Amino acid sequence: MPKVLIVEDEPLIRLLLEQTLEGLESCGVEVCAADNGIDAVEKIKAERPELVLLDVMMPKMNGFEVCSIVKQQLQLKEVYIIMLTAKGQEQDRLKAIEAGTDEFITKPFSIVEVADRVKAVLKIRM
Amino acid sequence: MIVSKLFKKTLLIIIVLFAVIALTTLFSSGWNLYQDLTQEYKSKGTAIARSIAGSSVDTLLNRDVSTVQAMIDQFTEIIGVSYVFVVDAQGELISHTFIPNVPAEILNLQTSRNVEPTDIFIKGRGDFIDISAPIVEGAVGYVHVGMDKGIIMAQLKAAMIRQMYLLSLIFIASVAAAYVLVNRVSQPLNNLTEYSRKLAQHEFTAQVEIHSKDEVGLLAHTMQSMAIELSEVFERYELALKDAIIELQNTLAYLTTVIDHMADGLLVLDIDGIITHVNPALSAMFGMRESDLMGKSCRDIFGDDLAEIVFRSRHDPKAVFTTEIALAESRTGKAVATGIQQEYFPLEGTEKGIGSVVIIRDITSEKEVDRMKTDFISTVSHELRTPLTAVKGFTEIIKMKLEEDILKLVQIHDRKSEKAIMRVRDNITIILSESERLTKLIDDLLDIAKLESGKVEWKTEPVSMAEVISRAQDATSALFEKKGLVFTKTIDDSLPELSGDSDKLMQVVINLLSNAVKFTPAGFVTCAARRSNGEVVVSVIDSGIGISEGNQASIFEKFKQAGDTLTDKPRGTGLGLPICRQIIEHHGGRIWVESRPGKGSVFSFALPLSKVEHAELSASKP
Ligand SMILES: Nc1ncnc2c1ncn2[C@@H]1O[C@H](COP(=O)(O)OP(=O)(O)OP(=O)(O)O)[C@@H](O)[C@H]1O
Ligand SMILES: [Mg+2]
Repeated sequence: MPKVLIVEDEPLIRLLLEQTLEGLESCGVEVCAADNGIDAVEKIKAERPELVLLDVMMPKMNGFEVCSIVKQQLQLKEVYIIMLTAKGQEQDRLKAIEAGTDEFITKPFSIVEVADRVKAVLKIRM
Repeated sequence: MIVSKLFKKTLLIIIVLFAVIALTTLFSSGWNLYQDLTQEYKSKGTAIARSIAGSSVDTLLNRDVSTVQAMIDQFTEIIGVSYVFVVDAQGELISHTFIPNVPAEILNLQTSRNVEPTDIFIKGRGDFIDISAPIVEGAVGYVHVGMDKGIIMAQLKAAMIRQMYLLSLIFIASVAAAYVLVNRVSQPLNNLTEYSRKLAQHEFTAQVEIHSKDEVGLLAHTMQSMAIELSEVFERYELALKDAIIELQNTLAYLTTVIDHMADGLLVLDIDGIITHVNPALSAMFGMRESDLMGKSCRDIFGDDLAEIVFRSRHDPKAVFTTEIALAESRTGKAVATGIQQEYFPLEGTEKGIGSVVIIRDITSEKEVDRMKTDFISTVSHELRTPLTAVKGFTEIIKMKLEEDILKLVQIHDRKSEKAIMRVRDNITIILSESERLTKLIDDLLDIAKLESGKVEWKTEPVSMAEVISRAQDATSALFEKKGLVFTKTIDDSLPELSGDSDKLMQVVINLLSNAVKFTPAGFVTCAARRSNGEVVVSVIDSGIGISEGNQASIFEKFKQAGDTLTDKPRGTGLGLPICRQIIEHHGGRIWVESRPGKGSVFSFALPLSKVEHAELSASKP
């Protein structure tokens, strides 16, 4: 069963993302969430999700750090990471690419776009 | 004994003169004496010879040799007579006074009638003058008398020695006289010399004791009055100098005070980068003492960054170089270095600067403000976008759920509920479009804030305007489709490449295109690009509502929209064009509008070609 991990410190956005992906649960996708970077790294190690939606701005450990730990330190290349960067912060994109992200979606995002991207990565037809 | 130079010279002249005079008198008198004496001896000898010749005729005729001998013997006793001899007519020696024998030279003497004296030299006896007298015209014989020349010489010598004694006495007397005389002249001269030496050492109070009325006295008097005048002049100059020094000290003190009270740190370096001056502010900034800094190398104390700009400033004294530098207590400073030109220190042969001045300002708080500004921008962007994302996202979910799950289940019985459902749908659409608008507003606001605060990282890359336009066309194609407008392009084939940030330039074209679509109800939109006079000019032409002359100037200002904002519902934020202007102006270009209300508008911007490119292109054109 494919797993998707949502990493987002803002409870509302986390909830929004969870609700966006709710529809996929019927297709057998398991959605879990983490509200900080440290927790996220633990969950990635333990659950090995196929996909991670990773926010950049988080307390304690930011998205870039999480990404580089996963991709470079833990060498978990099979974990697909989509980073959520803020629009207008061009340097964030560069940092995200350096950290090893697979792609990014700029905030504010449209939920349709997010759902489409997730489906495409998991190759689910609805 | 001090012999004055004057006396030495006089003495030398006296000696030379004296020697010349002495030698000439000595020789001339010696020569005269010699002549006189010789003459005297000759006449004496002639007289003797004649008397012998006269008185010996009879005796000789009688051949009384012994009488002749006795007679001639007595003559030898006369002073100067050395020998006497008598010869007969045949030259045969009759009698003589030679003892013991007759010298050979005598025998060789020719007998002649001539009574002229002859000089002869008899070996072993010396020089003689031989005087002969004939006896009876030489018929009987000849008498020869020899006068001793040695006696003449002895007398001459004695006379010479006497004269020399006399001359020496005169010499000594004249030297003594000269000494006294010269001294009398040179003493005041010496005094005068001594006095002038004192004057030369600025001893204007010195006195000179010369009261004579001659030239020396006059000179002394003149010198004394000159000394008085000189001392007055010196006094005046000394006063002026003192004033000047005081003024200089005041100016220096003033300058030093100014420098010492500067809030900025001041650092002066010589041509080798050695610290020659610092002010207290600078020492405090680096937490060092002035004594620890003076004479040290700039690189050793302040590191490579500062040394680098100092180095560059020295070689380009007209330019200003800046760098950031770490200060004590983890503060930050901004160093501004300029080269010192030799304007005030005209040294020959130094075309380069002769050192550098560095001003260091503590910019810790400015940096802090700057950092806060950047933080503020990203915080606002985060804090505003998060709720907006939530609003937008949840509305989308509501819309989705409403359409997919709820409305399918609800049975529409009456017009009232149908109307309510319509209202809900419309309102959700409004929420969505308004949140879209809010998102765009925030993006634009952040864009303009970043542009204005210089927080934008500009790229410098080769830009093809044709490519930029076609990318902008792609991005806005949906808008054209929606409105059913025709888009056309007229782009010069040989459009030269520009240098700049292509993403930002595309943002400009997108803004202009979306404006054109927005304000053109029906008709066409054209985009044109051409090269003219070292610029690339891009125009977006529409057949829309146009802008009145009065509004054309203000639409490039923030939040300014044409038309009555109360009656005409504003369809944007009014930030699009100000952003465009910022971007174009950053590229060194300009942006403007030409429009006729009701006919349409032309928005154009011109970007300069880089100088090199312009030159190349102009050159390649015939
Ligand atoms: N092509 C055009 N035709 C007519 N009027 C125009 C055109 N382009 C701009 N304007 C006028 O200039 C104003 C300012 O334009 P600008 O792009 O700055 O703001 P906006 O389009 O209103 O809002 P935004 O672009 O921020 O969404 C517009 O409101 C409009 O009145
Ligand atoms: Mg606009």
